[in-house]
Amino acid sequence: MRGLQLPLNQTQRIRLQRALEKLHSLSSKANSDASVTVADTIPVNYDDAFLKGHGTTELNGELVATVCGVVERVNKLVYVRALRARYKPEVGDIVVGRVVEVAQKRWRLEINFSQDAVLMLSSMNMPDGIQRRRTALDELNMRSIFEENDVVCAEVRNFHHDGSVQLQARSQKYGKLEKGQLLIIDPYLVKKSKQHFHYLEQFGIDLILGRNGFIWVGEHVEARDGMIVDQANNSEQSTVEKDQAYTPLEMRQNICRIANAVRVLSTLGFNVDADLIIETAELSSSLNIDIHDMLGSEFHVLVAEREAERRSLMTKRKR
Amino acid sequence: MGSLKRKSEGEEASSESLPQKQHKGDGSVMADEAVGCVHEVSYPDGYVPSTSSTVPADSKPAKEFPFTLDPFQSEAIKCLDNGQSVMVSAHTSAGKTVVALYAIAMSLRNNQRVIYTSPIKALSNQKYREFKEEFSDVGLMTGDVTIDPNASCLVMTTEIWRSMQYKGSEVVREVAWIVFDEVHYMRDRERGVVWEESIVMAPKNSRFVFLSATVPNAKEFADWVAKVHKQPCHIVYTDYRPTPLQHYIFPAGGDGLFLVVDEKGKFREDSFQKALNALVPTSESNKKRDNGKSQKGLVMGKVSEQSDIFKLVKMIIQRQYDPVIIFSFSKRECEFLAMQMAKMDLNDDDEKGNIETIFWSAMDMLSDDDKKLPQVSNMLPLLKRGIGVHHSGLLPILKEVIEILFQEGLIKCLFATETFSIGLNMPAKTVVFTNVRKFDGDKFRWISSGEYIQMSGRAGRRGIDARGICILMVDERMEPSTAKTMLKGNADSLNSAFHLSYNMLLNQLCCEDADPESMLRNSFYQFQADRAIPDLEKQIKALEEERDSMIIEEEDSLKNYYNLIRQYKSLKNDVRDIVFSPKYCLPYMKSGRPLCIQCIDDEKSPSFSIEDHVTWGVLMDFHRVKSVVEDDASRRPEDASYGLDILTRCAVSKDGLGKKKIKIVPLKEPGEPLVVSVPLSQVISLSSARLNIPKDLLPLEARENALKKLLEFISRYANGMPLEPEEMNIQSNSYKKAVRRLEALENLFEKHEIAKSPLIEQKLKVLNGKEELTAKIRSIKKTMRSSTALAFKDELKARKRVLRRLGYITSDDVVELKGKVACEISSADELTLTELMFSGIFKDVKAEEMVSLLSCLVWQEKLQDAAKPREELELLFTQLQDTARRIAKVQLECKVQIDVESFVSSFRPDIMEAVYAWAKGSKFYEIMEITQVFEGSLIRAIRRLEEVLQQLISAAKSIGETELESKFEEAVSKIKRDIVFAASLYL
Repeated sequence: MRGLQLPLNQTQRIRLQRALEKLHSLSSKANSDASVTVADTIPVNYDDAFLKGHGTTELNGELVATVCGVVERVNKLVYVRALRARYKPEVGDIVVGRVVEVAQKRWRLEINFSQDAVLMLSSMNMPDGIQRRRTALDELNMRSIFEENDVVCAEVRNFHHDGSVQLQARSQKYGKLEKGQLLIIDPYLVKKSKQHFHYLEQFGIDLILGRNGFIWVGEHVEARDGMIVDQANNSEQSTVEKDQAYTPLEMRQNICRIANAVRVLSTLGFNVDADLIIETAELSSSLNIDIHDMLGSEFHVLVAEREAERRSLMTKRKR
Repeated sequence: MGSLKRKSEGEEASSESLPQKQHKGDGSVMADEAVGCVHEVSYPDGYVPSTSSTVPADSKPAKEFPFTLDPFQSEAIKCLDNGQSVMVSAHTSAGKTVVALYAIAMSLRNNQRVIYTSPIKALSNQKYREFKEEFSDVGLMTGDVTIDPNASCLVMTTEIWRSMQYKGSEVVREVAWIVFDEVHYMRDRERGVVWEESIVMAPKNSRFVFLSATVPNAKEFADWVAKVHKQPCHIVYTDYRPTPLQHYIFPAGGDGLFLVVDEKGKFREDSFQKALNALVPTSESNKKRDNGKSQKGLVMGKVSEQSDIFKLVKMIIQRQYDPVIIFSFSKRECEFLAMQMAKMDLNDDDEKGNIETIFWSAMDMLSDDDKKLPQVSNMLPLLKRGIGVHHSGLLPILKEVIEILFQEGLIKCLFATETFSIGLNMPAKTVVFTNVRKFDGDKFRWISSGEYIQMSGRAGRRGIDARGICILMVDERMEPSTAKTMLKGNADSLNSAFHLSYNMLLNQLCCEDADPESMLRNSFYQFQADRAIPDLEKQIKALEEERDSMIIEEEDSLKNYYNLIRQYKSLKNDVRDIVFSPKYCLPYMKSGRPLCIQCIDDEKSPSFSIEDHVTWGVLMDFHRVKSVVEDDASRRPEDASYGLDILTRCAVSKDGLGKKKIKIVPLKEPGEPLVVSVPLSQVISLSSARLNIPKDLLPLEARENALKKLLEFISRYANGMPLEPEEMNIQSNSYKKAVRRLEALENLFEKHEIAKSPLIEQKLKVLNGKEELTAKIRSIKKTMRSSTALAFKDELKARKRVLRRLGYITSDDVVELKGKVACEISSADELTLTELMFSGIFKDVKAEEMVSLLSCLVWQEKLQDAAKPREELELLFTQLQDTARRIAKVQLECKVQIDVESFVSSFRPDIMEAVYAWAKGSKFYEIMEITQVFEGSLIRAIRRLEEVLQQLISAAKSIGETELESKFEEAVSKIKRDIVFAASLYL
C-alpha cells in the first residue's frame, strides 16, 4: 500500500489491504528475496563463471547492484531489472514521445529516458510517400511534419556510442498522434508484448502502450497512410483541446474512460496491458460508474479486488 | 556490335499500348516477341494500369550508352523509364549490367537512393569499382569493409541488405530502386532464403531490377514479385548470345576435337558417335570409380605419355583458340592440372615483364614475410608463362591479381573452378570442361544443363571472337541423349530453397510489423506450392477418369484373386530370402551344381501367373561383390553382396552404341552358352546333385558340352532334384511360419473360382494398371494436402517450441533477452553461440582461446586427417560439442527434424590451432605450416570469424556485459591484421 495516495474509508482500506495481500501471496515466490537496493551484494557462485549484466558491477570482488530493482538470472547472466526508474530503451521498443525541439535534420523527443531521443528526418516516411533522399527543402519543411509539443510514436532503432538513442518510424503506422490523450505512467508497468498498438473496436479507439510509460489513447485512425490528412490539419494547433471540435462527444468520453482505466491501474501498480484496460473500462461502465468517478477510491478498491480474484483464478487453473 | 536485331518502330508502338490489352485471366499479357527477346508483364490482382506514365515520353534518358543497345536492353530500360520493376533473364555475357547502370543513373538523377546487391563479396568489390568510376556517388558495404555508407548508390551483399531491413535504416526509407544481381542464387540451398527474405521485406514503394541467368520460369518469379509487392513486374527474357558457341568433344586418350553442336545449335549425332569411338578404353576404368577421386582418367596411368590436358592445351594454342578457361570441379585438381602445364610457355618477354610489374605492385601491400608465402612465390613463375589458377583456396589478393591479369589478356590459360563462372564479365575465347561429372556432396552426377550454360557463358568475347568454343573432355561413354540434354538442355528453373532459421524467426518476432507466418505466406516457396495445386488437381482428374474408364468384369472376385497373388508372391520372396541368405546357402555353393534362376524380362511388366519364368544354369563360382556398381541398373544394391558366376544360355544382342547386352534365356532357345554373373537374389532353387564340368571353359565347345550335360540332367529329373530346405538345415521360426502360410495360400488358389476363367492373364494386367493408378492418385492427393496448408507450418511451430524451451521467447512470442542476443548473430549458428555466451564460457578463457573456439563455428570444410588441437583447446571444443548436443536434443524433442550427431559434428576443430596461433600473433606463413588447409579458405574463415565477433560485441552490449564486450573487441584487434585483412585490389 506504500505510495498509494487515496482517501480511503475504513472498509475500503481493509478491502484493499486484503486484495493486495492476496495478490502478494499469489505473486511468484522465486523473486521475493531478489529485490535489491543500490550497493546490495548479489549472491553468486564465484567459482563459476558468470556474466554481469545491466545494473551490476564488481566491487572488492563482490557483485553489487548499482540500481534498485529485482535480480534476474538467465543461465549465467545476472542483471538487475530496475523499478520506478527512468525508462531504459531497448532496441525494437515501441515508444511514444513528445517533440521538444526541431533541430538540424532531426527532432528531439522526450521519452522519459536520461537523454532526449533523436528522430532523424531520414528515419521518417515522407508525406508524399515517395522513396527518395531528403533535400534541403524537406529540411526546411520539417515543422510541417512534426513541431514542438507534438506527440509522436516511434521505434527504438539503435544507440550511439554516447548512449543517446535513435528512433525510427518503420512504417506508416508510426508518426504523429492526434485527437487523444497522452498518459505518463511508470515504465516498468508496461511489459513488452507482441503488440503495442491496439485498436479497441468496441470503443473506436487506438491505444498505444509505449514501453517508456507514455500511453496514448486516441480516436482510431484508419491505416495511417493519409499523411496528407495530417498536413491538412496542420493549420490547426494539434493539441487535444483544439481538435475536440472534430471529435464527437461519445468518442471523447470513450477516450477518457480508457484513459482513466489506465490511471487506475497505474495507481494500483498493476501491469498495464490492453486486456486489463478494456476489462477495467468495461467494469466501470457495467457498474454505471461515471468517468470522473473512476478515479475515486471505491473504484480503485473494486479493481484491486477484481484483479486479485482474476489472478487467483488463473493460478488455480494452472494447477 | 549486334545492332541488327533492333525492332521496328511499329512494334514499339504496340508495346506502348500494352496495358490496355490486359487480359482478365491471370493478369498477364504477352507483349511482343522481338527477335531475340521476349517481353511479358505480370500484373498483381486487381491492378489498374495508370494511363499517365511518370516520365514524359520526350524526356532525356537518364543515361546514354556509347553503343547501340540490344533489343532486350532497350526493352528493359523502357520499363525502368516507366518506373516499373523488371526482371532481366539473359546469359552472363549478354550485357545485363547495362540495365543496372541505367537504374542507378536514373535514381541518381531523381535524387533517390539505389541499392545494388550481389551474392559474393568479391563481386561486390568489383562492381563497386565499376560503378565508382561511372558515378562517383557510390558506397560499399560488405561484411569486410564499409565505404561511404551515406552514398546514394550502395553496393552490398544481399546478407547485409537483409540485416539492414531487419534493423531498420534510413536507407530503407530512401531507396527507390533495388538491383538484385544474380538473383538465380535464390535456389542456393543454404543462402537462397536470404533473397526471399530481402525481396519480401523490401519497402513497399520501391522498385526492383532483377538480373538473372536464363531461367525458364522467369514469369513465375515475376508473378510472385507482382503479388507480394502489388506492382507490375516486367520480364525481359532472351536466349541471345552476342557470340554464338560451338561445342566440341575431346575424348580421353584421343587426339582430336569433334564438333557436336554447331553455332546454329544443331546436334551432330554422327560426329558424336565418332568422338565416342575415339575414346580410348581405359583399363582402370573400374579402378578409378572405386577410389572415387576426382582426378580420374585425366592423368592416371599416363605418366609416360603426355596427359590429355597437355595435349588439349597445346592444340588450343596451336589453333589460336586462346585465351582459354579450363573448368574443373575441385581446387586440388585445378592446381594439379596447372602443374602439368609446367613445360609450356605462352608469353613473350614483353608480357612477362608486364606480369611481373603488375604482380609485384599488387603484392606491395603485403609484408615481406607474406610475400614469401609458398602460394605467392609459386604462383609468379606460372603466371609469367601465361598460366593461371583461380579458385577459392587462393589468397584473395592473388585471386584478384589473376583476375586482373586475365582481363588484361596476360593469362592465356586459366584453370578455374565453377566460382569463376559467376559475376564480372571475364570472357575467354574457349572454355574447357575437364569433367562431365561433378561431385555434389553425395555422388558424382552429370553436369546439369544449367551449370553447363553458366560456365559455357564464359566462352566468346563480344566484339573480338566470331564465335566461342566449348570443349567437353569426355572420359567415359555417354548416351547421346545425356549429352544432348547437357549441351542443349534448358537452363535450371528458379526454385525456392526457402527454409526456416532461428535467426530469421527471432528477427521477425522482434519486429512489431512482421511476423514469421506472413513471411512464410509471402515466400516464393509458398507461391510455387500454391501454383502447383491447379496442376495437381488436373492430374488427379485425368488419372481418375482413366481409372474409371477401365471396366473389368467380375471385378470383385478378380481383385480378390489379385490380392492373393500379391500375397503369395511376397511370401514366396520372403521364403526365398531366408533360404538363400548367405548364411544358409553358401555352404552349398559348389561349382558344378545346377541351379534354377529367374529370367528377368527387360520390360518390367509384372507377371501374374503363379509360375515363374525360370531357367537352369550351372554354378561355376561365387564371389563377394564389394561395392555397388552404380550404372548397372538390373543389379539391386541390397542383394549384391554375393554374386554367382553361372554358365547358362544367353541371348547376346548389340544395341546402337555397340554396347553388348546379355540376356539370360531358357536353355532351349537359341543363344550362346556364356558364363554370366548373377546376384544371389535371382536364384530360385539349388539342385542337390553336382555335374562334372571341365575347369577350362574358354573354348565354345566346352561350354556347349557343359550345357548339354545340364539339359540331359534336367530332362532326367524334371524338377532337378532340388535341395530341400530341410536338408539345408534351416531352422528359423519365421521360415516355418512363412512356409505354412504359403501352403494355405496355394490351397486357396486351387479353390478360387476365377482362376479357371479364360484370359485371366490379361484381366489381371488391366487390374494391375488400375491399382497403380489408384496409388498414384493417392500420392498426388497427399502432396496436394501438404501444399494447401501453409508450407513449413509444422516446422515453424516446432522451432518456436525450441525457442520457448530454451528461453528465447515467452509463451506469447515476446522475444526475451536471449532471443535478442541470438538476433544479432547471423554469421554462425545462432543458438549454439548464444548458449555458449550465456554459459559464461567466454568469460573464463583468454581472448586467443576464445577466438580459437569460435573458429569451430565458422569452419565448414571437412579435413580428413587434421591433427587434434592441444588439450586446453580440445577441452573447450568438448564444451562446445556438449552445448551443441544439448541444443540438438532439445530440437529433436521439439520435433524439429535434426540429426543430433551430424549437427554436433558440423562443428569442426580443424583450424583451432591455426587460429589460436594467428590470434597469438604468428605470421601467416607460420600458421600455414600448422594446417593443410588452403590459404584462401583459412582467410575466409578468419574474416568470417571477425564478423561473428562484431556480432558478439553488439550482443554483449545489449546484455550490458562490458567486460565481455571489451574482450571481444580485444579479440577483433588481435586477428584483424596483415594479409588476412588485406584490402581488396578493387577498392
